[in-house]
Amino acid sequence: MSQFTELLISGLSLGCIYALIAMGFVIVFKATKVVNFAHASVLWLGAYLVARWHDSLGFFGAVGAAAVICAVVAALCDVVLVRALRRRGGGQDALAILTIAINIVLATELSRLVGTDILPSGAPWGSDVTHVFGVVVPQTRVAAAVVAVVLMGLFWVAFTRSSWGVAMRSAASDPEAAALMGIRLSRVAAGAWALAGALAAIGGAFFTSFPAPGVDNATGLLALTAIPAAVLGGLDSTAGAVVGGLVIGVATTFAAGYQDEISFLGRGLSQVVPYIALLLVLLWRPSGLFGTREIRRV
Amino acid sequence: MLSDERVSPDRKAGPTHAGTGLLCVRDLQASYGGVRALRGVSLTVSDGEIVAVLGSNGAGKSTLLRAVSGTLALQGGRIDGGRIELAGHSLIGLDPAEIARAGVVQVPEGRRIFAELTVEENLRAGAFGRARRDGRANAAEPVFELFPRLHERRRQQAGLLSGGEQQMLAIGRALMASPRVLLLDEPSLGLAPRLVDKIGETIRRINSDGIAVVLVEQNAAMALQIADRAVVFDVGQIALEGTASELAASDDVHERYLGLGAGGPQVGEVEPLTPVTGRRQAQALTVSEVTVRFGGLEALSGVSLNVEAGSTHALIGPNGAGKSTLLNVLTGVYTAASGSVRYGDAVLTGLRPSRIAALGISRTFQNLALSPTSSVADNLLLGRHRLTKAGFVSAGLRLPSARREQAQQERIVAGIAALLDLDSQLDHPLGSLAYGDRKRVELARALCAEPTLLLLDEPVAGMNAEESQRMARTIVQVRETLGISVVLVEHDMAFVMGLADRVTVLDFGRRIADGEPDEVQRDPEVLRAYLGFEESQEESQT
Repeated sequence: MSQFTELLISGLSLGCIYALIAMGFVIVFKATKVVNFAHASVLWLGAYLVARWHDSLGFFGAVGAAAVICAVVAALCDVVLVRALRRRGGGQDALAILTIAINIVLATELSRLVGTDILPSGAPWGSDVTHVFGVVVPQTRVAAAVVAVVLMGLFWVAFTRSSWGVAMRSAASDPEAAALMGIRLSRVAAGAWALAGALAAIGGAFFTSFPAPGVDNATGLLALTAIPAAVLGGLDSTAGAVVGGLVIGVATTFAAGYQDEISFLGRGLSQVVPYIALLLVLLWRPSGLFGTREIRRV
Repeated sequence: MLSDERVSPDRKAGPTHAGTGLLCVRDLQASYGGVRALRGVSLTVSDGEIVAVLGSNGAGKSTLLRAVSGTLALQGGRIDGGRIELAGHSLIGLDPAEIARAGVVQVPEGRRIFAELTVEENLRAGAFGRARRDGRANAAEPVFELFPRLHERRRQQAGLLSGGEQQMLAIGRALMASPRVLLLDEPSLGLAPRLVDKIGETIRRINSDGIAVVLVEQNAAMALQIADRAVVFDVGQIALEGTASELAASDDVHERYLGLGAGGPQVGEVEPLTPVTGRRQAQALTVSEVTVRFGGLEALSGVSLNVEAGSTHALIGPNGAGKSTLLNVLTGVYTAASGSVRYGDAVLTGLRPSRIAALGISRTFQNLALSPTSSVADNLLLGRHRLTKAGFVSAGLRLPSARREQAQQERIVAGIAALLDLDSQLDHPLGSLAYGDRKRVELARALCAEPTLLLLDEPVAGMNAEESQRMARTIVQVRETLGISVVLVEHDMAFVMGLADRVTVLDFGRRIADGEPDEVQRDPEVLRAYLGFEESQEESQT
């Protein structure tokens, strides 16, 4: 099989992980209008906990426990910090800067904990590979894609069918009217943050599994590339997060795979490709691929 | 129904039953950033009653509803004193969601439906206010019974409904919570006359199911017709109180809120005004065979009309008839699929909005499009942007020329504000002004661009008879002084008929009548489509 197909499949599987992470980012933005830069550190925390705990709890147990911890941490960010700032009249800009601060604090502590180590995620598939459409793909990536698709499907059903979804969407559409209808905005917001935290932990576990070496000091920086995925797809669109994730996944994989051919652009291009893709898309569509443009009935 | 763990009793006063009222407001005081909006309001609503709340804009009616529903803080306001109790339990300090769950549900002003959700999902959202979950499943049935139209459209996106249907949905959504007290904030706002009657009838039916209703309305005629009792607000206090029939008979209410004594806007004595700015000549506006399509939907089909220079031309028609669409074609926001618009010698079709504005066409909006945090003066200065010369650099460096210009602009803005009686409010943040005053700021801002053709989208929506008369006077003054043409879209018939030289009636994007107000008022098709006299017509025929 050609290198192209191989890279495409590998890129799509990486894209599923990105999509999962970007979706959490979008959910928080939709429900609370906060651009949550702390998402990257929460992911790093999740990945770190999985790496620390997989020996005692097993990989799946560790992922589950990390998801719970990250959900709690994210919800606490909302309940303790975001809400307090909002009560004092903090706007969207102040809240975004607050999340940058949270991100820096969390990242500094994690970088102290990780030190110079590279901690393997302990995924049971190790470095085994399998064949998809005749292409060699790491088994962890196949598992990641399956988990991501299942989780996104569950989310979609809950979002469009359940009462929780109706409450989420009502609150996103008009918070004051939603409160007047008896929807508890603070619970909707905390729920969204918790869900995003859990998704970040699960995404983080796969993000640091094979072919990635494991959790190290650069994980936080790499995790930030999920933010371009969300913005590129459209900050307020869950479908956009999925597409944005796939685009970033494929783009970085291609940039890494063809780096000999494009070496005139310099080595390590794959690390900045998400941001280049983001710039190009935003120049063309300022609200992202699927984001709501600022339209108002006039 | 009401369990104690849902509503915490007032810690200070303890559960006190003040009279037999279901909802008791005692000596309520509220303010926005130090500006007092309620100065000791007391109001009791008993089981199964409809209480109408009347008064001019800024008198405190909406503030009262916000205080009761717990949303005052979201608007930057606070309760300074007094009590609000539902069946003896204090509501003050509770989250809006808890107040809704306790049984006091508000239909907010401007409907505020969830536009991206379907009709059915909007109703599901309303069911969150139910005290108990078990009734949620079939809660929608009585609502569909009340509004069969919503059942037909239950899978449609709510944002695509017409104005009248959206109001039905907003009321239906609130009913999903099975409220004990329903608070309605201006339900007839922006609705065609026949729909206003329908909303009134609906409120009565809801009330007959035992739901107490507090109805804030500018349409005092409708409100007094269906209410048991009414109160009239004036400057944050209750000025008059009585049964609906007593108030309807009172001279004061008659004149100020029903506007019947006046018989349409009186525009006799117009004070002379001096033009504040330089003059350009108004031109004739010619719209010929304009068609606009959104996707497959034809919003306007071959509409033509002529506006003579210096005249007032009204566009009327049911909600969704295409009136605002036509305004948007005139300003270049929408592009006509075919047909042309000419203003004097200039062809407007195909021009960008900024070019059209430069030709002297300026508009106001149906929904206010102003910045709430900026002062009135800053909002008006924004309207002069096109006419300022200082560039980014000279303004940024505050060069003498830029400062001189700024001072001159501020003088002009102050003059326009004086013209509209806004001079005392120039420094106030716009958000602190009452709705009717904000509408006047909109008009002032449009005038700041020194238009020769002024387009007004529902200039008196949400105003009472007295205020809309004042607005009519202002429009006449402005037109006479500045010699400009005015095109206005409006539902208030007394206003339109008293003010317009010519009226064009639209229905489903087609022009169904065009002529002088008297002719149009007698046109049978207009009566059928819009004014809603078909029953009385049929009766008189038999």
